[in-house]
Amino acid sequence: MVRAYTQDHVYHHPWDRVTTAAWRKFTDPDTPALLSHIVDVHTLHRRLDPASGCLHAVRSITVRSPPLPFILRRILGQDAVVCHCVESTVVDARGRSMEIVVRNASLRGLLEVEERSTYRPHPDLPEGWTAFRQQTNIRCKPLSALAAVAEKVEQRCAERFQQNSVKGREVVERICKYLEAEASAAISC
Amino acid sequence: MGSNKTSRGGGATASPCARLRDAYHDCFNRWYSEKFSKGQWDKEECVAEWDKYRACLAQHLEDKHLRRILLETEASPYFVKNDASSPADRDGTTHQ
Repeated sequence: MVRAYTQDHVYHHPWDRVTTAAWRKFTDPDTPALLSHIVDVHTLHRRLDPASGCLHAVRSITVRSPPLPFILRRILGQDAVVCHCVESTVVDARGRSMEIVVRNASLRGLLEVEERSTYRPHPDLPEGWTAFRQQTNIRCKPLSALAAVAEKVEQRCAERFQQNSVKGREVVERICKYLEAEASAAISC
Repeated sequence: MGSNKTSRGGGATASPCARLRDAYHDCFNRWYSEKFSKGQWDKEECVAEWDKYRACLAQHLEDKHLRRILLETEASPYFVKNDASSPADRDGTTHQ
């Protein structure tokens, strides 16, 4: 069974500032308090196409799972697991779009998560607002004898992902405000 | 959000590279916000920082799957293996 949900959000900040903040979401020093599930972030690949103005980067995001249901804790012998996710981002600076796809690279025998996000100038105010859309699919692999548990895990993951998405947006908002203040201070000096 | 950044995460596999990573990410964030996102996309920057950081990861990164992504020169946008029935396998993109 696949759980799919879509979230839309409008940032009242211009596209360049929001996408700057989005890049900094996981590595900002204040982030651990809000996104405590993030263990490590590394950039694995990057390529700029100067002709088209497209940037492609791949990062690994290592996360700690939420506390596992009892039966999985028994099976795995751990309260939580560490999971590597792979994030692939394409930014088209000319067309002003940022597209991100995150998939889990480990634990795929148990769970398949795919999260697609886009950041584009908002059609109502392209110079001042940014439209954010995030679509998430979560599928739990059937564990023959444990179908009911699989569904519970999927539901719990979906809830946690949604909560983390909200927290992630709060972090991006906070960084946007900081960048805005920084820009104003530079002008008034 | 100041200059006294603490090293991110407890990734024991690649923590030797944390400083080089932070130096690269700082450079990248600056380039992205001041140049790339504002229309200056014609020149690659932070090359020295990237080369040092990448060399460190090549030496210290243990996870096999992540190493493959790191060491590939031609990168496809999607690196994660999918089953035929996976919801992600919709658009016919080449998968590993």
